[in-house]
Amino acid sequence: MKSLRRFLTRLFNTATMRAQEERLREEIAEHIALQTAENLRAGLSSVEARRQAMLKFGGVEAMKQDFRAERSLLFIENLLGDLRNAGRSISRMPGLAAVIILSLAIGIGVNTTIFSWIQMILFQPMPAVHGAANFLMVEPRSETGGYPGASWLEYRDLQTQVPALRDIVASQMVPFNVGRPGQTERTHGQLVSGNYFSALGLKPVVGRFIRPEEAERPGTEPVIVISYDYWQTRFRGAPEAVGQKLRVNDRDLIVIGVAPREFQGTMVPLKFELWAPATMAPALLGGTRDIEDRGSRAFSLIGMLKPGATPQEAQAEFSTAMAQLARDYPDASAGIGGEILPFWSTPRGPQRLLISGLVILQGVMLLLLLAVCGNTANLMLARGSTRQREMAVRVALGAGRWRIVSLVLSENMLLALLGAGLGAAFAVWGTTALRIAPMIGAFPILFPTRVDAFTLVFAILLGTACGLIFSAAPAVHLARLDPQDGLRSSSNTPPRSRARKVLMGVEVGLAMVVLIAAALFLQSFRLASQSDPRFRPDGVLLAAYDLSGRNPDEASDREFAARLLERLRSLPDVEAAAIATNVPVDLHGIPHRSFTLQGRVRTEPGQDRAISNTVTPGYFKVMAIPLLEGNDFAEMRDKAAPAQAIVNEEFVRRYLDGADAIGHRIQTRTQSFAIIAVARNSAYDALGEPAQPAIYFSYRDRPQDQGEIHLRTRSGNETALTSEARAVLRDLDPMLPLYDVRTFSQHIERNLYLRRIPARMFAVLGPLLLGLAAIGIYAVVSYAVARRTREIGVRLAFGATSGRVVLQIICENLGGITWGAAIGWVLALVISLRLIAKGAVNFPVFIGVPAILLCVAALACWIPARRASRIDPMAALRHE
Amino acid sequence: MKQKADVLQGTLALMVLKTLDVLGPLHGYGIARRIEQISGDLLAVNQGTLYPVLLKLEQEGAIASAWGASENNRRARFYRLTRDGRKQLQAETKDWEQTAAIIARFFEAKAENLS
Repeated sequence: MKSLRRFLTRLFNTATMRAQEERLREEIAEHIALQTAENLRAGLSSVEARRQAMLKFGGVEAMKQDFRAERSLLFIENLLGDLRNAGRSISRMPGLAAVIILSLAIGIGVNTTIFSWIQMILFQPMPAVHGAANFLMVEPRSETGGYPGASWLEYRDLQTQVPALRDIVASQMVPFNVGRPGQTERTHGQLVSGNYFSALGLKPVVGRFIRPEEAERPGTEPVIVISYDYWQTRFRGAPEAVGQKLRVNDRDLIVIGVAPREFQGTMVPLKFELWAPATMAPALLGGTRDIEDRGSRAFSLIGMLKPGATPQEAQAEFSTAMAQLARDYPDASAGIGGEILPFWSTPRGPQRLLISGLVILQGVMLLLLLAVCGNTANLMLARGSTRQREMAVRVALGAGRWRIVSLVLSENMLLALLGAGLGAAFAVWGTTALRIAPMIGAFPILFPTRVDAFTLVFAILLGTACGLIFSAAPAVHLARLDPQDGLRSSSNTPPRSRARKVLMGVEVGLAMVVLIAAALFLQSFRLASQSDPRFRPDGVLLAAYDLSGRNPDEASDREFAARLLERLRSLPDVEAAAIATNVPVDLHGIPHRSFTLQGRVRTEPGQDRAISNTVTPGYFKVMAIPLLEGNDFAEMRDKAAPAQAIVNEEFVRRYLDGADAIGHRIQTRTQSFAIIAVARNSAYDALGEPAQPAIYFSYRDRPQDQGEIHLRTRSGNETALTSEARAVLRDLDPMLPLYDVRTFSQHIERNLYLRRIPARMFAVLGPLLLGLAAIGIYAVVSYAVARRTREIGVRLAFGATSGRVVLQIICENLGGITWGAAIGWVLALVISLRLIAKGAVNFPVFIGVPAILLCVAALACWIPARRASRIDPMAALRHE
Repeated sequence: MKQKADVLQGTLALMVLKTLDVLGPLHGYGIARRIEQISGDLLAVNQGTLYPVLLKLEQEGAIASAWGASENNRRARFYRLTRDGRKQLQAETKDWEQTAAIIARFFEAKAENLS
């Protein structure tokens, strides 16, 4: 207690230093005055009386020191002094400080932005939901490795059969058409189990949430919860929104509550606006049997572990439950097991894909930051050496090693933390830029990234780590300083500069790795965005429709598509029209399908797989993909022709060994198809990808209730077709909206968006890093040259040409740089061979980048060397 | 050397407390005089060392200080014992007497008495 009290008083005293000092001064004066008066009374002369009094009191300064040490916390006082000192010395080098702070800020800002993204996916995957990262995916898993989802009845069984999980939540993503006939609007929502909101721990902003009993019996409770954004935009945030009717999929639903502000559903980054009880599925989805049919696996399940339970227990219970279900309902559940997955590795959505890309990006950017640290260390070391004498004086006057180290450290830490602060500001800007990313694909996507306390801590830790890294070399260097040496040596003796050369090499090596990574990425990005997709995207308009709310069957789906195509083809500006289930180069990819090819014997285990797309006749004309053999699919209303399939060249090469494909039969799980034509290869998942085998099925054989309309315009202005296409669809069905209307070029552009972010980062950071490396080398060389002014003067006086001097300086410095560059180059080569190219070396990059880097390095050496060689020998010899 | 200083400081603190206990509120010079009178040469030189001790005691709450007027009518800092300080003094006096008694007995002890 007593020591705590003293500590607090001392802390307080540190703050009120000046007043205390004044008090002590006064007390001493009074003490001595009283003693002098006493001595006078004893008969001493006035001068002697005062002298004796002073003697008796003892050393005033030593006492003051004691007093100060007693009074306040010495280390805080020292720290404040150091910081003041650091501030002063930083303000003496504004240019250098600006370079250091800015480069650190960029490095830290980029890293923090990427980290905020990663931590969003890993730790805060659902905004507004506390502890969202603790949720687990409860995924039924088929024998072939797919995740088909769970049926509603299965969900009801699992709720009680996996006791290690509490509150398993079921949700199904559904498109809703909201509004009156003729002016419907497509919105995405989720059909959810009754415990959805309570299990997520959410509180309604207004109204209430769905009650468990409202998701018990089919179709009884026409209620709906709306998102905060939807409430703000459609109801202007009025509390009266609760209780109003909303026309959804041609049914009136009553708004009962508003979800919390940030909440966007359980499939982030997808952003949902509406939530209805799962038992409304038959009413909203046109008589779907989703909630009574065990074969309809439409729901995705998540659950949280009970306290004390482990994922292994949950996995064991889940597997047992699924095995039991497979025995009880062999029709629907045979061969379906189960897997408990961490939330971020959900098989739906782009998380899994993103996280691996982001981790690599983070790794590269951390290397970049390390290179920046190396650069800063070098600059500080060069500067530190010019302060040798100052430090020597300090040591000579009694400063301990630790005082010197803490002096250097505080200066560097101040720089690093300023950099981290600015970096955090950059990160705030960067994450905001990510948030306002445009909608990608048919689904509304919002990345809920933000800079929160966690991210800020990361930025500060990063700053501290940087500070420590680039303080180490200068601090050790100065602390080892022998004061005698430091004072004696004039600045003309060349110091040992191995540390600097090594650092320079390390920095250049790191820069090499990062620059090569950047160049490789940029090149692949450019190749991808410029590569020929082998179909013609310009002049094509895309738009989607969805009949799933119409209670469709195969015949009505087929008839609708046939009529739609007839009407569209009759438009004067339409050259060709087709419908397909998938659009190439989509962010979500195109499904692969397994099949068996008649007459082919597989040598390895597993199944043959190919890209599959279901298209109407005319598709190849719209896409401008030539058919190399055979003819297009039979007309939509043709009832006579057998089931048909068209394959691509790669399919023929891989599975038929280039033999004549036409006439072969493809067997899928349900149907058999005859190959009638071979199409040229084109891009499917991404531009510039290696050729993939693909099968096209006909819409006639496999009608779908959803479709992407492809229209090729005659005039070249595809956007002009939008209103005509809308009118056609409205004529056919006034309640059906045309959504996700975009040109094919826009579609491709949108899907390149995610790759464009790192591409932009690299495009900006690459040159920046090159510039930093140049500044670092320049500073070191010009410092080293300045220290050798006399030596250079002697050489010149003895007749050396300035060219020779310049050459010698460049060669000396380029040695270390070349070593570093070579090591970095080899490292980058190994990484690229192992990870990316798998055998192929990108020669332009691996030769170009080192060439540029070494040229810049040579230039950075040349400028100071040339300046040094131009001095007048006489002036150099007189120097100092 | 450090130990010696500590011992000195410890005893000095006890002396300060006792002085204030006996004489009531006093300024620094008064305390120094009083200790000098009683202890002889301990504070004959380096009277200044008193002030860090006073500060320490004040931070611990054993004494309190306030401005007042000295004999020659100038501003001086007067120190007085607090309730905590009185308790501390009692406890330390007891400790000190015990220690002194033990040491005294130890020095009086003869070899034959210990066998």
